[in-house]
Amino acid sequence: MKGFREVAPGKKSLKKDYVAIMMWFMGRAIQAAAAADKAVRNEFAGLPDGFTFALSVMPRGPHMIVGKDKMGSIRYWGWEPEGKRINLMMKIKNIEAAILLFTFQEGTATAAARDRLIVDGEVAHACAIVRILDIVEVYLLPKILARLAVKRYPDWSLRRRYLGRAVVYLRTVFGF
Amino acid sequence: MHMAECNEFISPVKINSGNKALEHIPCELDALDARKPLVIAERGAAAKYRIDVLIEAFKDSGITIGIFDEVPPLPSLLLIKELFGIYRDRGFDAIIAMGGGSAADTAKVLNIAVSGRPEDIDRCVGEDLIEKHLKPLIIVPGLSGTGYEMSRYAFFDSRSYASPFLVPHLAVIDPRTAIPEDVLTTSASTLLGLTHAVEAYISYGKNLLARAYAYAAIQLTIENLVKVIANPEDSKGCVALANAQALAGCTFSNVKAGIAHGLGNAVAKEMGLPPGVCMGVLLPYILEKRMSECSHDLGELFLPLAGFDTYAETANELRPKRAVDIIHDLIGDLARATGGSVPQSLKDAQVPRQVLPEIARRADYVGLDMEGAVSVLEGAWRGR
Amino acid sequence: MDVPGYYEFCSRVRIISGHNALEKIPEALTRLTAVKPMIVTDKGVVGAGLIDAVLGAIGNSVSVGALAEDVPPDSDLRVVNNLAKTYLERGCDSIIAVGGGSVMDTAKGINIVVSERACDLMEFSGANSLKRPLRPLIAIPTTAGTGSEVTAVAVIKDHDKHLKMLFVSNFLLPDVSVVDSRMTSTLPPAVTAATGMDALSHAVEAYTCLAKNPLSDAHAMAAIRLISDNLLKVTRNPGEMDGRLSMANAATLAGIAFGNSMVGMVHTIGHSVGSICGVPHGVCMAILLPYGLLYNRHKNGHLTAELLFSLAGPDVYANTPRERRTDEVIERIRKMNHDLRDATNGRHPRFFKEVLDREGRQMVPKEKLQGIAKTALSDGSIFYNPEDLDYGDFLTVLEAAWDGEPLPGNLK
Repeated sequence: MKGFREVAPGKKSLKKDYVAIMMWFMGRAIQAAAAADKAVRNEFAGLPDGFTFALSVMPRGPHMIVGKDKMGSIRYWGWEPEGKRINLMMKIKNIEAAILLFTFQEGTATAAARDRLIVDGEVAHACAIVRILDIVEVYLLPKILARLAVKRYPDWSLRRRYLGRAVVYLRTVFGF
Repeated sequence: MHMAECNEFISPVKINSGNKALEHIPCELDALDARKPLVIAERGAAAKYRIDVLIEAFKDSGITIGIFDEVPPLPSLLLIKELFGIYRDRGFDAIIAMGGGSAADTAKVLNIAVSGRPEDIDRCVGEDLIEKHLKPLIIVPGLSGTGYEMSRYAFFDSRSYASPFLVPHLAVIDPRTAIPEDVLTTSASTLLGLTHAVEAYISYGKNLLARAYAYAAIQLTIENLVKVIANPEDSKGCVALANAQALAGCTFSNVKAGIAHGLGNAVAKEMGLPPGVCMGVLLPYILEKRMSECSHDLGELFLPLAGFDTYAETANELRPKRAVDIIHDLIGDLARATGGSVPQSLKDAQVPRQVLPEIARRADYVGLDMEGAVSVLEGAWRGR
Repeated sequence: MDVPGYYEFCSRVRIISGHNALEKIPEALTRLTAVKPMIVTDKGVVGAGLIDAVLGAIGNSVSVGALAEDVPPDSDLRVVNNLAKTYLERGCDSIIAVGGGSVMDTAKGINIVVSERACDLMEFSGANSLKRPLRPLIAIPTTAGTGSEVTAVAVIKDHDKHLKMLFVSNFLLPDVSVVDSRMTSTLPPAVTAATGMDALSHAVEAYTCLAKNPLSDAHAMAAIRLISDNLLKVTRNPGEMDGRLSMANAATLAGIAFGNSMVGMVHTIGHSVGSICGVPHGVCMAILLPYGLLYNRHKNGHLTAELLFSLAGPDVYANTPRERRTDEVIERIRKMNHDLRDATNGRHPRFFKEVLDREGRQMVPKEKLQGIAKTALSDGSIFYNPEDLDYGDFLTVLEAAWDGEPLPGNLK
């Protein structure tokens, strides 16, 4: 019929790559912060054994998977959710919403208020994870960006702000 | 305890509005259990632009979309038949109407056919003859439709359909697609909505839900219409205006048409003018006519028109007149902003004075006698 | 009017409201092509004669398939499954839910089970797990109120597994909500006061928290106006039917508002007080509302100020200097609690230390506040609050709300 066609819209490879890289950093930073920061450790301690959570972009990634290993340490498990038992999924509805989040145009709270996320799992766990993400963002980002990402920029001690940050950065980059 | 009538309200449409709203559509389709939408759009450059934006928004979703972008301004049932064949044969399970006007009406009528049987489009002509939920229908309105897109009405090939099941499941207002195509149509569809909202506010004051929707529609219109006409690049204003139109449409589905609607339609039909423009021009004069019987509701109307502060600072007895003044001013500002495309008076609209009684006679409305209608038309003819 | 960067709004319930709205039920059922409804309710509602009123209004035109009056005060998975079984065995094709929050949640749960023939309700928990419309559900609220007759959420507790299942889907919205003044006319003053403040907290938080939008704002403002004009009136004079209808309408409007714009810290803390100490939800809301507004003041005080218009009327609004309006709103809400306490002969509490059970024992002992603060950390409504709260902040607010003291000035 004239005027009719079917279109399979393509991909957004560049944006997906950007988000994938940001998630990689974030995952490793969570692992680092769990080792270096007491508040993050405490939050994870309140979560069940073997707890694993995934931050994912719908419909097919990228993903960030973080969880507790058998010893209770927090590990960044990579970007492949296949074959893993995931307790909590925080799904970002589409790649554009993920871009808004990872370019700090919408902080976590704004993204939640704007229905950009779906939480699959227990809400109590989601609350803990969001608090962890907030702390990690404060570690990772310069103040000017962190203030966009979190609701309340915390008042940390000098030690935590400088030494803690340095440790988290080192651990993130070198993966230990 | 008085045995007053019950109030009823339903607004079945979900509204998604704002930045990156289009990108949420794949998720919404999934929530409606749909996987393959058919996009329906009018022919023309504006529609093509919007479709390009939609295709971009669907990237990474993994969804294949069908596109038909040749809907003419006055489509026929033959088109429905052809689209029905495509929908069925290609396995579509949802319809997305891009833009308003004939695309939206086509989409609604097609949805009747694909949700039941093709014969339903004959059987369901008229009021409330559709019996059950239809298949998913999403509308992505522009700013220059008819103003009925969000409502329970569909007008197709001189047929009228009315049913709550015709209301789209979802309206997606996105700054990239809520753009004003031309000042006259944008003004017309907004004024149509404003008229409906104002008449609902006055005549259905006890229907609190209709009032809530009307309140938002009226306030958003007053704050944004002239602004957007003067500066079509103001995307925040455009989104706000699209919201106003959508909410007015939701209101209208729940109330009977008022005097301005009926008289305005009659003028429009007589003169071949956009109905919304005629309604808008007549509206303040009708409100003036009804001042004594509706002064309380007119006073309340002043709230969405003027905002909390001005309302609070204005003496109670002055509010009704000030409300009408704001609407007069709106039409005046619009006339200036559109360089006269929107007329300030029926005289400016080239309506011959001698046809006014005939228009009054032919018009379909309740609540005003012939004499009253003629005097309203005369007032609107003379202007301020 | 502020249009946010992005928002979503959905309220597709057909709402019928009036002094004789119940009489529209037969027509509502016909329109939904339903002929054999199951009535789901609780013993309190039956005892108040409300089911008789519903049955009387329905008349002989509808044949009721089953009448289930065993819904407990807290929704229970076992009850949901049992009643779903009854629904299917009796060949029912629709549900009429008559009651408050727990009845509504139970009815929504039953509707999932019977519509999806679910063996395990848990499968459908979470957001967007339902993909198609459920069977017809008519909701008749008997409080004014929780607003759950117009929300897309249900909470069902699995007491065996100590789990709270949350269901979120627009398909959970009832098809019809029947708001009839007769359904709340027998509410005792203390319950009237508490449920009315619950509705107020919904409207206020919807207007002042992060997910607000033009439609929810319009609904919220209308609700607040009705509540401020009518709550005290119907608490003092329970038989005032126009007032009862206004309050019922307000609760529905507020329900639509918060159903779409969510709530904030007042609910975060209130839920925890409710779950640990068993305090009725509305009472928690009433006590915490002024504190929530005060705590968030630096972030959303300008929005709170706008509430004065609906709370006190245009004259007070105009005569209150702009910079005083926020505080005036908070004062007025505190005063509402005081007035309601008088109107209920001391039953409606102003602070947590005043909350007493039937035997006159304190329901919120000061020692429990730390546990409540800890629990509050797990409540998702905090996402929508404009300001963050950690354990210390929760405790500070709770301590102040316990004995009615102001919040310390150095918060944040």
